[in-house]
Amino acid sequence: MVAKEITRPVAKAPGNAWLMGVAAWAIPGLGHLLQGKWVRALILGGSVWAMFLIGLAIGGHLFRIGPNDQGVSAMLQLLPISANFGAGLLYIGCWLTNTGFVEQAQRVTYEYGNTFLLCAGLLNYLAMLDAFDIAAGRKP
Amino acid sequence: MRHVMWMALFASLTAFVFGVVAKGTDRQRVIYGLKVFAEFLVIAFVLGWILYFLPLR
Repeated sequence: MVAKEITRPVAKAPGNAWLMGVAAWAIPGLGHLLQGKWVRALILGGSVWAMFLIGLAIGGHLFRIGPNDQGVSAMLQLLPISANFGAGLLYIGCWLTNTGFVEQAQRVTYEYGNTFLLCAGLLNYLAMLDAFDIAAGRKP
Repeated sequence: MRHVMWMALFASLTAFVFGVVAKGTDRQRVIYGLKVFAEFLVIAFVLGWILYFLPLR
């Protein structure tokens, strides 16, 4: 049974699916929009955009490796950075414009903001996989 | 009230995404999304009350 599962041939994903995956990661909702899945694009993209913008607005901060982060401290930043990075160009745009990296721990909603920002990226990874699966024909 | 509001907003946005990427019919996915939303709220309230009685200070 196990051997059967392991040797089962896996359908190769077309190049278009990888492109949709990258588009979905880069701009939340775009991967579904390009495939004509308007409702999914609106809900997924809208949710990720809303979470990211709300996270910034209520005092959350994005993570990056700063000049003071050395050794273990730098390593500890990698997990939240990878979560933030899931937001695609939203994160990269903030990184280029140096927006949202200042810690505002004095604000009551600081931790909520961080959670919103981290989860926006993580949820966009899910949306990206969904766009990939639809383009590869694995999902309706 | 502010904390509950942010928590509910977070739960609703997350439940939207979970519901949309789930497999099944539209009806099954809507029910799944509602279930995820309800689970977030219930677990948050239960944990909140547990933490309330713990002497953490």
